Amino acid sequence: MAEVTTRDFAAASRAAVQDPQLRRAFGSAGAGFDGARRDAIDEVTPEVWEQWRQQARSIKEHAVGNLDYYLELLERNVAAAGGQVHFAADANQANAIVSEIVRTRGVKVATKSKSMVSEELGLNHVLEGQGVAVFETDLGEYIIQLAEETPSHLVAPALHKTRGEVARLFADKLGVPYSDDIEEMARVARVALRQKFLDADMGISGANFLVAETGTLVIVTNEGNGRLCTSAPRIHVGITGMEKVIPSMQDLAVFLRLLPRSATGQRITSYVSMVTGPKRAADEDGPEEFHLVIVDNGRSRLLRDPALRESLYCIRCGACLNICPVYQRVGGHAYGWVYPGPIGSIVTPELVGVAQAKDLPNASTLCGACREACPVQINIPRMLLHLRHELAESPDSQRRTASDTDALLARGFAAVMSKPLLLKVARRLGRLAVKSVTRDGKIGRSRLPFLSRWTAARDLPAPPARSFSDIWRDELSRGDR
Amino acid sequence: MSLGIPSADFLASVRDALGREAGPPAAAYQHLLESAGELELQAAEIRRRNAGDLPLLLDKMAGTAALRGWNVQRAGGGEDALDYVVSLARRLGVESAARAESAVFSAVPVDAALAGAGVVCWPAVYDADRERDAVRRRLAESGLGITGADYAIAETGSVIVLPRRGLSRLVSLLPPVHVAIVRAQDVIDTLDDLFVLRRLEYHSDGGDMGSYLNFISGPSRTADIEQTIVVGVHGPREVHLVLLDKE
Repeated sequence: MAEVTTRDFAAASRAAVQDPQLRRAFGSAGAGFDGARRDAIDEVTPEVWEQWRQQARSIKEHAVGNLDYYLELLERNVAAAGGQVHFAADANQANAIVSEIVRTRGVKVATKSKSMVSEELGLNHVLEGQGVAVFETDLGEYIIQLAEETPSHLVAPALHKTRGEVARLFADKLGVPYSDDIEEMARVARVALRQKFLDADMGISGANFLVAETGTLVIVTNEGNGRLCTSAPRIHVGITGMEKVIPSMQDLAVFLRLLPRSATGQRITSYVSMVTGPKRAADEDGPEEFHLVIVDNGRSRLLRDPALRESLYCIRCGACLNICPVYQRVGGHAYGWVYPGPIGSIVTPELVGVAQAKDLPNASTLCGACREACPVQINIPRMLLHLRHELAESPDSQRRTASDTDALLARGFAAVMSKPLLLKVARRLGRLAVKSVTRDGKIGRSRLPFLSRWTAARDLPAPPARSFSDIWRDELSRGDR
Repeated sequence: MSLGIPSADFLASVRDALGREAGPPAAAYQHLLESAGELELQAAEIRRRNAGDLPLLLDKMAGTAALRGWNVQRAGGGEDALDYVVSLARRLGVESAARAESAVFSAVPVDAALAGAGVVCWPAVYDADRERDAVRRRLAESGLGITGADYAIAETGSVIVLPRRGLSRLVSLLPPVHVAIVRAQDVIDTLDDLFVLRRLEYHSDGGDMGSYLNFISGPSRTADIEQTIVVGVHGPREVHLVLLDKE
C-alpha cells in the first residue's frame, strides 16, 4: 500500500500555508475548476442540475445498497464477454494479482492511464520490483512519476507544480532543452510516450464506472492516453474500487452529464471509452486479454457503517477539493495519503486506520461548501462530525484531554449564553479585548491566548464599530414592529 | 483462472457488511426489467422523434460539436464531403491518409478522390503482406485518419465509434488529424437515446456489447500544467466533422 503520512497533517499543513507558490496553485483550483463548474451548472440551469444530482444519488444508493448483487452480475457479464474478474480483499492481494498476470505472461513494459486506486495500492513500486518498466501516461501523472512525487489533486495530479518546475524536470530527466512553453512540454511528453504505448505488453487503467448489466468498464478522459492504454497492448488490466459498479448502461447518461461538469466544467470530456471484454475474434486490434481487479482494501468498513456508507457514492470529480477553503490553502500533499480534501478526510481514516488519521476529520471548517458542490449530494460535513464524535468517544488518552477542554469550554459557553446580563458583560469585555489588538481594521498576529491560533497565519477582520445588537436596539427594532 | 480471493468469499463479506441476505434487490431495478421488446418500442420512438426533427437535430449537432472543438463542415452530399477532405489533405500537405472501414465510404469514396490528389489513402487492415506492427507504424506516420461514425450525439457533440474490421480503434487516435464523416441518419439527440439503442443491440445480439465503444468529443487535450488547456497530447490535435445532410 502507498506510504501513509497522515499523522503529519498539522506540520505539513503549516508548512504548506507558508509556501506562496502552493497557495497560488491550490487557490487557483477555486478560480479555475470551480468557476468553470459553476458556469456549466448555470448553463443547464440549477433546477435541472438538482434533478440530475437527485437521480445520480438514487442510483448510487441502490447500487451500493445491493453491492454484492451487482458485483456478481458484473462478474458474470465480464466473463460472458471473454474477460476475467479478480477480487482482492486488500492492497497486498491486489498487487499479487497483477504481479501474477505479469509473471505468467512475461510482461516487460506496462503503460498506465490514471488510476487513483493503483496509487492507493502502490502498484508501480511492486511492478518495478518485478523488473517491469511502468510508464504513467496521463501528463500530470507522468510529471509526478518523473519527479518521484504523489498526486496532489484527484483530477489534476500535478497541480502543485509550476510550469518552470516541469520544464526543469523534463530537461533533467528527459535530456530535452529547457522550455517552459506548455504546448512544447505536452509535445515532449507525447514524443517520449508514443513508442512506449506501442511497445507495451500490458495497459493498466482505472475505471470511472462499471456497468453490471453489460460487464463494461468506463473511463472518462481527455488526453487519449486512456484509449491508447486500453487499445494497443495485448493485455488490459482494469483496477478499481468495488463501489464503482452501477446497475444499467442507461444509468451512465446522468453520470456522464455530472462528472465532467463537476470536475473541470467540461460539458463532456474529449473521450469516454467503454470497454467490454478483450478484442473479439473479428477485431484486428485491441487486447487479447481483459482482466478486471476489484478491490475492497477497507471499503467494506465504510459500507458497514450506515453513517459513512454514502462516502462510497463518490465519483472522484474533485469538486469538493476545488471549493474547500482548507484544501485551497494546504493543498493535497498535507493530507498525507492518496485522497485529499473533504472526501479524503472521510475515506482516508477508514482506509488507513482512524488512529493514524485523527487530524483529518478536524481539517474542515464545516462550512458545507463541499456538500453543495458534490454531484451526488454526499453529506460530507455530517460524516466529518460523525468521525469527530467517534474520535472524542474513543478511549485514546490524547483525545480524552482535548475533549475535556472542549467540554469545559462548552459548559462555560452555555452558562454565559443562558444569562442575558452575563452575555452583555462578556460581549463588552470581548470587544474591548479585541479592540486593543486591532490595527488598521485588522487583527494581525495576536498575543491573546485564544486568538493567536487563528491569527498565526492570517489576518482576522476586526469587528465593526457597532455590534448587531446595538444596531437592532437603536434602529431596526423600531419601524415595522 | 480467477486470482485473489474466491468471488463467493468476497461477495459474502460485502453482503455481511451490508447486513443483507443473498439475492436480488428488494426493489427491482426498472432498467434491468426492460425486455428486448420494450427496448424496441423505446428505440422506435427515438427514431421517430429524431427523424421528425431532423433539420433541427443536425443544426444542434453542428452547434455543440463546434463548441467541443470540432471543425464542422456541413455537406449537402458525397461530392461536397469529398471536396472538403481533399482540400484538407492538401492544406495539411499529407502524403498518407489512413481510413477505417465504414459503410459511409461507399457514398463518399475518399480513396479514389485522395488518390486523384496524390495522397495515398489506405485501409488500416492487416493482410497477408502486412504485419500488425508494420501497419501500426504506418498508421502512426500517417498525417490523417479518416473514419465514419456509428452514431453522433447532438447533446454532447460526440462521435461514437464501434469496432470495425481493421485497426479501427487507432485510426481516430494515432494520426495528428482526424476526420469523421457522419451520416444524417446516424445523428441522435441525447445520451439516453444512445444507451437505449445500444442496450437494444446488446439484448437482441445474444448479449454482446462489442469490445469497445468510444465517444470522441473534440481534440485530445490536457490542462495538467497550470490548468492551461493544450490540444493534441496523445491523440489528434485537430479534428474535423463532416456532417452529411443527405446521402
